Amino acid sequence: MTRSFRLRRAVIAVAAPAILLAACGSSSGTTLNGSGSTFQQTFDQTAIQAFENQNSGVTINYAGGGSGKGKTDLQTRTVDFAGTDSLVKDSDLSKYQGGAILYFPTVAAPITVSYHLSGVDSLKLSASTIAKIFSGAVKKWDDPAIAADNRGVSLPATDITIVHRADASGTTSNFTKYLDSAAKSDWPLGTGDTVNWPAASQAGQGNSGVAQAVSKTDGAIGYVDFSDALAAKLKFASIKNAAGQYLAPTLAGASAAVASATVADDLTYSPLNEPGADAYPITSPTWIIVYEKQTDKKKGEALKNFLTFVLNDGQKLAAGVNYAELPASLQQKAIAQLSKLQIPA
Amino acid sequence: MTTVTPPAPPGRDDPGSWILEQAVSPRRRFTNGLATAWMVGSLLFALVPVFVIAAYVVSRGAAVMSVGFLTKNLQEVTQFAGGGIAPAIVGTLVITGMAALMAVPLGILAAVYLNEYGRQSGMAKVIRFMSDVMTGVPSIVMGLFVAAVWVSSGLHRGYSGFAGSLALAALMLPIVIRSCEEMLKLVPDDLRQASDALGARRWRTVVSVVIPAALPGIVSGAMLAIARAAGETAPLLLTIGTANLIQANPFSGTNNTLSQVIWFNAQTPFAAAIDRAWGAALTLIVIVFVLTVAARLVSSRFASARN
Amino acid sequence: MAASGGKRIDRAFRAVAFAAGFAVLAILALIAYSTTKNAWPAFVHQGLSFLTSTHWDPNQDEFGAFDFIYGTLLTAFIALALAVPASIGIALFITEMAPKRVRTGTTYLVDLLAAIPSVVYGFWALEVLTTPAKRVYSGIADTLGKLPILGHFLGGPVSGTSFMTAGLILAVMVTPIITSLSREVLATVAQDDKNAALAMGATRWEMLRVAVFPRVRSGLIGASMLGLGRAMGETIAVALVIGSSHQVTSHIFFPGDSMAAVIAHNFGEATGLSRSALIGLGVVLFAITIVINVLARIIANRSTALAGTAR
Repeated sequence: MTRSFRLRRAVIAVAAPAILLAACGSSSGTTLNGSGSTFQQTFDQTAIQAFENQNSGVTINYAGGGSGKGKTDLQTRTVDFAGTDSLVKDSDLSKYQGGAILYFPTVAAPITVSYHLSGVDSLKLSASTIAKIFSGAVKKWDDPAIAADNRGVSLPATDITIVHRADASGTTSNFTKYLDSAAKSDWPLGTGDTVNWPAASQAGQGNSGVAQAVSKTDGAIGYVDFSDALAAKLKFASIKNAAGQYLAPTLAGASAAVASATVADDLTYSPLNEPGADAYPITSPTWIIVYEKQTDKKKGEALKNFLTFVLNDGQKLAAGVNYAELPASLQQKAIAQLSKLQIPA
Repeated sequence: MTTVTPPAPPGRDDPGSWILEQAVSPRRRFTNGLATAWMVGSLLFALVPVFVIAAYVVSRGAAVMSVGFLTKNLQEVTQFAGGGIAPAIVGTLVITGMAALMAVPLGILAAVYLNEYGRQSGMAKVIRFMSDVMTGVPSIVMGLFVAAVWVSSGLHRGYSGFAGSLALAALMLPIVIRSCEEMLKLVPDDLRQASDALGARRWRTVVSVVIPAALPGIVSGAMLAIARAAGETAPLLLTIGTANLIQANPFSGTNNTLSQVIWFNAQTPFAAAIDRAWGAALTLIVIVFVLTVAARLVSSRFASARN
Repeated sequence: MAASGGKRIDRAFRAVAFAAGFAVLAILALIAYSTTKNAWPAFVHQGLSFLTSTHWDPNQDEFGAFDFIYGTLLTAFIALALAVPASIGIALFITEMAPKRVRTGTTYLVDLLAAIPSVVYGFWALEVLTTPAKRVYSGIADTLGKLPILGHFLGGPVSGTSFMTAGLILAVMVTPIITSLSREVLATVAQDDKNAALAMGATRWEMLRVAVFPRVRSGLIGASMLGLGRAMGETIAVALVIGSSHQVTSHIFFPGDSMAAVIAHNFGEATGLSRSALIGLGVVLFAITIVINVLARIIANRSTALAGTAR
């Protein structure tokens, strides 16, 4: 046997399995891709898992990455649906290459103000104190502003380390909107998916990144969605709501906030700083946004089925992973909006 | 100025160190001792991390390891335990394999040009220099390049395993070229001349004589480049997206790799996710070490065969 | 006729091989071109303040990258301060002190250091190193950090994820490359020159000072610069432990950020102008590492050329 023949044989021996593997890899089912809000990620993952169990032909990938990423991925049609906790700016609407978008609210949950401070197991914070902490005006835990909210609690002189989101985040958007509305005079940084945090703060990737940074650093404080804060076993503060009550974040508090919020026709709403006595003031809404006009029949149907699942049976999964179901009225409106999806025949 | 040193007393075995003691001033001996301590101490600086990291990865990874862990799909909900890393293993192998399929033949051909044809010509010198420089390009820049040209604004193909392979191939190419050229240089000219004398064309000589003679070294170099590529994360973050189910087709849809699984799970505070990351780290290290050790074995057999 | 057919194949083969070699130049040029083209909108928008401003706010289309350039330089500097002495020490150990079997074993182990993927380094450092490191930093900050000048570098409040931790793990990661290149450089010194010094009664250290270091200085500098290039381009391990904080500070125990880490963390989310800005960071990083690599190769090649004539 000549050397070249042996070489050729070797090449085929390597290439053949690769080709076979490639053939095996191609699936006959439908794949949906989504990205965006990490706030809703745990609920989405739970719903996806349950949905895939019932619908073996459909694969759904949800990549997270922050509301900003989801919105831009949807603009360029890199994904079929996006998760977002913040609304699309009017000036950005034209960037959506597939035309008009629909907001489908899915769940809601508290944004916790989580902290790591040895020796302090319960903390109360008012909106203006939170604003002062996160804008860098208050730098140490034993500052009079914090002490004023926590009479009788001995606070150590530890430096405060602010932890915020590195990525463009709907959670940031809602958190800053809350501070802007509830403590305007103390909050100079404005609102948005990203803001100009003080220089010596730390950034985390996604809600879980912020949770990780808080759990690793004594003296740290950050805003984290309820589900991740519980899973990371973080301590969180009770926040003073508009009615003057200090409320710990709970699903009941979130539901109360969502129930009293005004819902627009396109199903957007803001449950932040709601007036009720039971309403947790930093409650975040969250939506899945999709194009009204779907272009692929199989994907469009899979998407509609998935959203139908999320809005019906999926709601029962929410509490198990620490999210609040939609109130019945909002749920009905969302289900009704499903018929607006235009799927090619 | 020399002093006559008294003869060594019986029983002292090492005349060298005895002379050192007698003839060298304490200050000089002290400086020499410091230098020796520096060299040995540096060794610890290098070796301790290998053992410590390996120990942690093996112990924490083994705690999670099981057949199920290696064969199940990724857990959908990051916070929860369960599931496995099979999609990541498949992704790592497929994407790295695809990259090797592109970079290794191209690298061998380029090395053939440099050593057999170009030699010391101006163009060959430039290519040689530039491929050395290319080994220093940060892997994330390779990822940005592929993201800009292939994934998004350019050809807009979206995330895929193949896009990741393109970035990894760009990383591997200069490494393969350099090591290949070294191996081709080692092939003695006698072989080439003998083949010439038999009337073979240059290309025939290269393909049938030179490359087979250098083959073990080439294979070893390729395996080291593959080991390096298998561990890469940054270029993949920008090009392959993410996937929880096995995707063996690099051209179709998003994918996942062991390095990416570690990256994402490492940045969460959930015990289940951290465990998953240790397990993936152990799997990745095993793959990389196997390739590295195998490469060394192949090349040392080559060296002893030549001698 | 076989002869003319063979000639054609010969020419074709040579052309293909040349094309493969040329592909290196083409790819490098394509990287430079495509990244710069995609970064151009951000460069035009920001102007030179891209490199000098510390104000990075994608929300307001502000892209001052100085914080990250500083962070890249600081962590690389810390890494080299630790890695260069260690790597040269190891290289010296291997070439001067070690018996043959220890030599191969040590080389092997250093190669294993190089084989560990950077994500594993970063993950291990994040999980295992940051907490004890923070305690050590606190100790230093509470003692040396209270002194007048040192306090600017070592003062608190300290963070486990910081410039120093990133520099530490980087030092371990660049050691293999500096070591292996230093070894090559040291091996070029003729044994005769070393023996001459030893015969004159020099201790090992004196022999190195007299016969070895003067000859290999350029080569070692070149090796260190290649390590510098590698340290500046390292992304993942640094991104995991640098602390993701935007600040320019002399305090090495504070958290910070580096160019590559910022790209890795934010590229997925970025769009439009901020995406261009991140690619722009990549262009700056690319330019810096190319310059360092070219200089390093020139300096190192000069040394081997000199060593060749020293015989």
